[in-house]
Amino acid sequence: MEKAKNRENEQSRLRAFLGGDTFKALLPLIGFVVIIVVLNILTHGKILTPKKLRLLLSQIYYPTIVATGVFFVMTLGSIDFTEGSTLGVASLVVSALSFYSIPLAILGGILCGAAIGAINGFFHVKFKLQSFIVTICTMYLFRGVCAYFTTETAVPASAAIKALDNNGLKIGITVAVLVVAWFLFRFTRIGNDVKAVGSGETAARFSGVHTDRVKFLAFVAAGSLTGLAAFVNVIKVGSITATAGNQLETQILISLVLGGLPITGGAKVRFSNIIVGTLMYAVLNSGLAILGYDPQTQQLIKGVIFLIFVALTIDRKALKVIK
Amino acid sequence: MDKKTMLVAEHIDKRFGMTHAVNDVSVTIDAGEIRALIGENGSGKSTFCQMLCGIYTIGGGTFTLDGKELHIKNQVEANDEGISIIVQEMGTLSGLTVAENIYLGHEKPFMHYGVKDTRAMNREAQKLLDAYGFGRIKAGSMIDRYNFEDRKLVEIVKATYMKPKILVIDETTTALSQNGRLELYKIMDAVRADGRSVIFISHDLGEVLSHADTVSILRDGEYIDTVSAKDVTEDDLKRLMVGREIGSAYYRTDYGTPVSDEVVLKVSGVTVPGEIEDVSFELHRGEILGFGGLSECGMHEVGKVIFGASWDRAGSVTLANGTAINDIPTAIKNSIAYTSKDRDNESIILNESIRNNVVLPSIDDLANHGLLNGRKLTRFANEHATNMQTKMQNVGQFVSDLSGGNKQKVVLARWLGKGSDILVLDSPTRGIDVKVKQAIYALMADMQKQGKSIIMISEEIPELLGMSDRIFVMKDGRINGEFKRDPALSEEDLIAKMV
Repeated sequence: MEKAKNRENEQSRLRAFLGGDTFKALLPLIGFVVIIVVLNILTHGKILTPKKLRLLLSQIYYPTIVATGVFFVMTLGSIDFTEGSTLGVASLVVSALSFYSIPLAILGGILCGAAIGAINGFFHVKFKLQSFIVTICTMYLFRGVCAYFTTETAVPASAAIKALDNNGLKIGITVAVLVVAWFLFRFTRIGNDVKAVGSGETAARFSGVHTDRVKFLAFVAAGSLTGLAAFVNVIKVGSITATAGNQLETQILISLVLGGLPITGGAKVRFSNIIVGTLMYAVLNSGLAILGYDPQTQQLIKGVIFLIFVALTIDRKALKVIK
Repeated sequence: MDKKTMLVAEHIDKRFGMTHAVNDVSVTIDAGEIRALIGENGSGKSTFCQMLCGIYTIGGGTFTLDGKELHIKNQVEANDEGISIIVQEMGTLSGLTVAENIYLGHEKPFMHYGVKDTRAMNREAQKLLDAYGFGRIKAGSMIDRYNFEDRKLVEIVKATYMKPKILVIDETTTALSQNGRLELYKIMDAVRADGRSVIFISHDLGEVLSHADTVSILRDGEYIDTVSAKDVTEDDLKRLMVGREIGSAYYRTDYGTPVSDEVVLKVSGVTVPGEIEDVSFELHRGEILGFGGLSECGMHEVGKVIFGASWDRAGSVTLANGTAINDIPTAIKNSIAYTSKDRDNESIILNESIRNNVVLPSIDDLANHGLLNGRKLTRFANEHATNMQTKMQNVGQFVSDLSGGNKQKVVLARWLGKGSDILVLDSPTRGIDVKVKQAIYALMADMQKQGKSIIMISEEIPELLGMSDRIFVMKDGRINGEFKRDPALSEEDLIAKMV
């Protein structure tokens, strides 16, 4: 009798814990550790060799930069599906300009990304279209632009830009982006404003937040950082094909959600979501590759893990508020 | 001969969170009776009927219809038991034909092995429409082709063709023109002549007295009385609807205190399409200016106008120094505060901490060269939330966990923290218990002493009489009367200008 009661007690406590905020906050870290341990056992320790780690790091520079921009959009409770095609188009711009001057190429990439972000933001804010509808449309549009310039042959970049391929520069840019974004998010009203809009747009407007401006700028930021990431991407790959940045948007979305970012945005987002998420995705990705799964199976496994994470971390109370 | 009893409601009860919407109401309605149900907004009359019709679950008590106790789970079951309702808002579904709307939930007679016989359905529906004298409405047409009034007529057919034992009409007449009303009255009389019953909810007391046999009055969810329509006047009904004790200790007790001549805010010629028409007034320094009226009279929009939150506004809102208020950030920067009637959506971010809610309007003041100091923000929020005696664990707690009264304290804390000089308080005590109410009134009196100006928009007349230096009563989007603070001023004086 007593025992059964105890068990019941434990069960209800476990249920409370699993449904509670502490667990949701810890889940990304737990998941990270579980994924590393499981993959390490399955690959017989191959995943943690220095060589593999270096390879892993080289894979996360540009996704981290992109994810930092998208982080602001997703904190609003919006979504951006254009990163892949933005990266493709911006990479073309960077390649073309790299024959003139490297600083010009960087600037061109950022401006190109910012322009695409501005288009997304404009339609989202002015026409009150949902962000996922707008960005799915622009995703196809700019994928088309990218394909148009790359159908015949791949577009090469200058030798000068390829010569920049070293980890120091790429790490430098990535860290700089993270630090600046963290600073803005944590120590200026920008962070407060995006979280407020994500938690309750109407109330944020009635509290004096320029909600339209905040939303527009978040999309511009996401575009600009994707443009900067295009520069890092060009350094690495050297020439642009029609598939440049393909499916980057889903990779970023999955990364951020794996990192614990609630898909509804708002008050519960943490800046660390970006770092934990991109690392986790990279580990998962290379682990599955080492295990020898073909790309289709990899995709399937990633999809299942993503679904489980969304179901476990979503804030159902916030869902009712999101329009 | 004793009249046959149609409906017996015993100890009907319903709570929505903190609000006791219907409190132990018992009524008996005879067969062949038109019973009007009246009361102020929020008196529980609609909630009562919606429980009867299966729209809300019954919180407590029983309904017995024609000798049979009801256990209804939804509207279709209610229909099957012989209860129909015609609602205040649009009650037809767009995208369906007139016939499909009429037979919604009752398609069975027209189904043959899962296939609907549209032609038979249209034929039967057209017969009904013709019999009601609405032959110009075609059963096979999409409902969207018809205007609001015709759709109401379709609803009337839908609600009455199966000859319900009891027909509930919930404030339908406001949506109808004179002709439509006459049609409805005819149907009500027909139901009565047939020995069935009508529950008639209306704000139009003249209509109530001329068409109902008996009138039941609800107030604050409680049953007050049932009177015969022959024996009473409109004034009697008004008294029964609102007649509660005025002058409890917690309102202001001063009368004749002079108000400064200094104008702090000027509203001139403001029109918001569909909401308010050509509203002009001035707000003085240290004044509590009340706005009253029925809930759709436009007074809530006046608050939004002053805060720069209205869409599509014409006219101007200016401060004493000439600054025009056209958007919310400008309003906040110029020391205007606003608490909305829709607290959970417009006043406060539910899924956010108390801390971030309190600091949000003041964030630029708290920043040092654009940089925020987390500890300073927490200290600020803590100070003002504690000043308001908010019941909380700490300022990190989410607002969604708080009760209505405590949420309102957080709302007020943020504007006290901001130090605003002009406060627009829309329904500041809505859904709030007496103790917190008292605290809010005390706070308002206190702010007035500090020379702050307050606009209080309220649906509660005693509160307007008790707190305001001046009261504007609105009707149909216009200011319909102005009253000065006076102990002799009565609720009836205000009501006379509202309806």
